[in-house]
Amino acid sequence: MNQMLRFGLILGLICAAATLVLAVTYEVTKPKIEDQLKKEESAALAKVVMPGADTFTEKTLDGVEYLEAFKNKRLVGYCIRATGTGYSGYIRMLVGIDLSSTIKGVSILEHSETPGLGAKINEVRPKEEEPYFLRQFKGKQAYSIELKKDVDAITGATISSKAVSDAIRDTVNKFLAKMKDEKGL
Amino acid sequence: MDLASYITIIISAVFINNFILSRFLGLCSFIGVSKNTGPAVSMGVAVTFVTTMASLISWLIYNFILLPFHLEYLRTISFILVIASFVQFTEIVIQKKAPGLYKTFGIYLPLITVNCAVFGVAVLNTDVFFLNGKAVDGSFLKALLQGFGAGAGYTLAMFIMSGIRERIEFAEIPKCLKDIPITFVIASLMSLAFLGFSGFKV
Amino acid sequence: MKLLGEFLKGIWRENPTFRMVLGLCPTLAVSTTIANGIGMGLAATFVLVGSSIFVSLVRNIVPEKVRIPCYIVIIATFVTIADLFMKAYSPALSRSLGMFVPLIVVNCIVLGRAEAFSSKEPPMRSIIDALGMGIGFTLALIVISAIRESLGNGTALGFSFSRVFEPPLFMILAPGALLTIGLLIGLINYFTAKKGLRRGKKD
Repeated sequence: MNQMLRFGLILGLICAAATLVLAVTYEVTKPKIEDQLKKEESAALAKVVMPGADTFTEKTLDGVEYLEAFKNKRLVGYCIRATGTGYSGYIRMLVGIDLSSTIKGVSILEHSETPGLGAKINEVRPKEEEPYFLRQFKGKQAYSIELKKDVDAITGATISSKAVSDAIRDTVNKFLAKMKDEKGL
Repeated sequence: MDLASYITIIISAVFINNFILSRFLGLCSFIGVSKNTGPAVSMGVAVTFVTTMASLISWLIYNFILLPFHLEYLRTISFILVIASFVQFTEIVIQKKAPGLYKTFGIYLPLITVNCAVFGVAVLNTDVFFLNGKAVDGSFLKALLQGFGAGAGYTLAMFIMSGIRERIEFAEIPKCLKDIPITFVIASLMSLAFLGFSGFKV
Repeated sequence: MKLLGEFLKGIWRENPTFRMVLGLCPTLAVSTTIANGIGMGLAATFVLVGSSIFVSLVRNIVPEKVRIPCYIVIIATFVTIADLFMKAYSPALSRSLGMFVPLIVVNCIVLGRAEAFSSKEPPMRSIIDALGMGIGFTLALIVISAIRESLGNGTALGFSFSRVFEPPLFMILAPGALLTIGLLIGLINYFTAKKGLRRGKKD
């Protein structure tokens, strides 16, 4: 038993040292990681999701996270966070709609779809600026958007394409309903 | 609707995203222990038991310890430690209480600690069944089912592969392709066949 | 001179991927693009070198019976460090490698080297051995991912030649990975056998 105690002590010591090292590393890298995420997001916001807007303020409404987009201090639209269930995990994106809920732009922040298939939802063709799949959404009505009717699915990746369009439609609908409630009250 | 989503998880883990043939998790043992059907299936059963239990334990740890205390960065270290101790513990229990069972399954247990499928399913569960630091609906049950499905998919692939390898044992294969290389080529063909499931809408 | 041999053996004679057939899950899963392959290779090399130093340092303190859990803790620590730094400085790479970064912890190469080498040898030699193995692993990943990316996606290191031929999707998906590694190992077996035969005749 004494031996067991010694074993446990040594293992415990090593675990404690490891945890300490990790805690320090985590604290050191944490601001940098958050910084990176913010940088990517703000780049996506100003360039793709709501072109032309200059300031964004983070808001939440009953579980729907969104940002209000302003241009010269006038509200021009909303950027809504949507999450779709793709082929092999979540697809997180930002959808920009103007005040009449026309889509201004879509940006995928994170996905884990299969390279060569589902990953094409975020693929940029050579010499082009933005993903060809997401470009199709621009100018469409967000609350009624439907795959194969308003936007073409990617060949061989229907599930991933549908995940994106469904998530956009459902989240925007939820958001609009919540907004109506809010204003009605 | 909910029942369907649970069934989908199992079907997906066994066929569409088969752990070995499409996610490459557990490949080392798949190549190493698939020479004969008997041991291959025993290994599969042992892995299924461990993946299910690992999903259970890792979910509890993640949901009740790591998330509330914002210790997500300790995920890797805590999961691997818990899996290793669980495997060790099971090995001791089986050895003492059921020597017969130990002879069939026990010898594979030490191999399972570093089996990517076990650790992989634990990590995958936290990636897929937690959203923005919160468990999704039915997360616990889904994690369990995914753990079981992962093991079942592993066993299925092991069973098919060992059957094929038994049959080609005496076939005339170019010498340089014998054993490991030909096993990969067969696995490639199996994986191609399993790709057929990926069009399935479930 | 001996150290050089220790370093070189990981690259060819005992190459972890092609000769020892270890650590396959990440090798096949992330080798869809060359960039991913290099990223995974370097991360694994970092973990190998870091853990080999510490395993070698504590080799005389840790009792025989708990050595494996201790090694696992050391390896997991380095894996998490690599994961966090990758998230902080190369978020795109971290995202495309996804769960395969934490999976380095169960990569048989790392635990295998800890158990077979660093647990018996002084730190200096352990580092050299780990470095050789890590680079051998990285090179193997580069070879496999170069084949898969160029054939399956029609691109390589930013060049696109998808106009020359229609890239078969097969190579990017799981079956292509398994076929590539199977045939590569077969090819290497063939050449070693041939070389061995020639050498045998000379002697």
